[in-house]
Amino acid sequence: MDIYLPIAEVAVNAPLIVALGALVGFISGMFGIGGGFLMTPLLVFFGVPAPVAVGSMANHVAASSMSSVIAYSRRRAVDLRMGAVLATGGVIGAYAGVEIFRLLRLLGQADLVVSVSYLVFLSVIGGLMLTESLGAILRRRRGEPQPPHRDRRPVWLYGLPLKMRFPRSRLYISVIPPLLLGAFVGMLSAIMGVGGGFILVPAMVYLLRMPAGMVVGTSLLQIIITTALTGVLQAGRNQTVDIVLATLLLVGGVMGAQLGARASARFRAEELRAILALIVLLVGLRMGLGLFFRPEEPFILMSGMGG
Amino acid sequence: MADLPLPPHVAEAPPAAEAPQVRAPEAPKPIISAALTDANIQVKSNFRGARIVLYGAVFDAAARPSDVVVLVRGPEQPVRITRKIQVAGLWINSRPVVFRGAPGFYRAASNRPLADIANFGTLRRLGAGIDHLTFAAPAEQRVETRYGVRDVVVNQLGADYYDWKSAVVRLKEAAGLYREDEHGVRFVDRGLFRAEIALPAGAPTGVYRADIILFQNGKPVAQRTRTLTVQKVGAERALYVLAHDRPWSYGLASMAFALAVGWAASAAFRRD
Repeated sequence: MDIYLPIAEVAVNAPLIVALGALVGFISGMFGIGGGFLMTPLLVFFGVPAPVAVGSMANHVAASSMSSVIAYSRRRAVDLRMGAVLATGGVIGAYAGVEIFRLLRLLGQADLVVSVSYLVFLSVIGGLMLTESLGAILRRRRGEPQPPHRDRRPVWLYGLPLKMRFPRSRLYISVIPPLLLGAFVGMLSAIMGVGGGFILVPAMVYLLRMPAGMVVGTSLLQIIITTALTGVLQAGRNQTVDIVLATLLLVGGVMGAQLGARASARFRAEELRAILALIVLLVGLRMGLGLFFRPEEPFILMSGMGG
Repeated sequence: MADLPLPPHVAEAPPAAEAPQVRAPEAPKPIISAALTDANIQVKSNFRGARIVLYGAVFDAAARPSDVVVLVRGPEQPVRITRKIQVAGLWINSRPVVFRGAPGFYRAASNRPLADIANFGTLRRLGAGIDHLTFAAPAEQRVETRYGVRDVVVNQLGADYYDWKSAVVRLKEAAGLYREDEHGVRFVDRGLFRAEIALPAGAPTGVYRADIILFQNGKPVAQRTRTLTVQKVGAERALYVLAHDRPWSYGLASMAFALAVGWAASAAFRRD
């Protein structure tokens, strides 16, 4: 059953897209990430033009994060204050990102920046996560004690001005690192069509030293606010949001996300991190590989913006 | 198409100067006539098989062997194209090049291969066949004075210009927008023919022009032109128009809808 996407101007197989949404939703709910880093490349692979995939993903990520954040907030696992600080940065970053993406499209280099961003960010994050989580798994298998939880937080977190209390996370740190982190993730969200959870979650754990229980719910809150803004900006500035595509993905995505959130309770945290790290790494390498091989068809028609 | 060699009504009123070229003065000049079954084609977004159907007849008292070519052109669209180039080991997009004058849709339907109907020069003059489309990249060309010679046209793409141009045609062909159909015109009865042209999903909207040309002995001897309008209708079209005319309202509404779906889903799956 093919369905025509009005903005992407291509016909896609509807059940396939719904299944894709469910699969990514499952992963998203399981790991507490938006899943955009996985969905955007898959959509491009199935023939959706990259700018439309990036633009529409914002809607999909916002909706699926919305459905999971409510579950987390019921468990009181959301630090609203930290979420607000991150989101403030995210709003600035998203605005900058949409403008940068617009410029890149005009220059014809959007593909390159998207591929390179995927290659660099996903490989680095995936590699780091994999090393860390495999180490933790091995230590547990061998019965070695986990390294003592380093409660010494980096000096720069304390040396910076504008300190703020985050009672839920039991933190008293400067707002500058979370603001910058939020801005950076917001920009990536606009350029890569991702929520940014794959960067946000590790950064909150390892840099901000937030308690693990608070990280996922809080990152989802930041992602909702940032992607909601990105989605509106992408539609307003670039006309690349396809609501039919986003809705199809949502139908599968919300169901998958709920199932994923329940499934996550059955795994240990480090096992979840290891699986996620592998997925992240594979997607990053796959997206980046195209840069190194001679393309079969060297010429590419650029959709839209024909003038 | 001001450069067509024959004005549309040449068949009815042949200029006296051309009369000797048409072999026998005793036989009246052949006439071609054609009509579209529907001059206003509404393409539904979820359509399968929107098509242009055209009937026509060749009136020729001498019954000379006739070939019919139907050229359908969609509205002109600028084409932006880029080429992957290797820079420091990485394959990246080059500077985009904009071609102008290329039709958004092109079909050359005929009753047998175009190359058998007329020679290269004739086909080129008529723009019959995807190899004979005329379009150019005006931004890449400039007129300058070189070595004291004025008005030299310099193309910045240099020798690659032909590669770029043929890539436009190749990619449009791959998208189903350009095609030659050597069996697209069928004679259903003596002198009576039918042409059927399928429109792909990506066919642009707007005014299309169909040139129906009668060839005899390798020469175009009569021609008719018909115009038709292709419109997209339906909910998807309405969304497209809304997204482009009122992008901010569309964006806000889409996001509100997405968030509401997320909220509703979490309420629906709530276990307690």
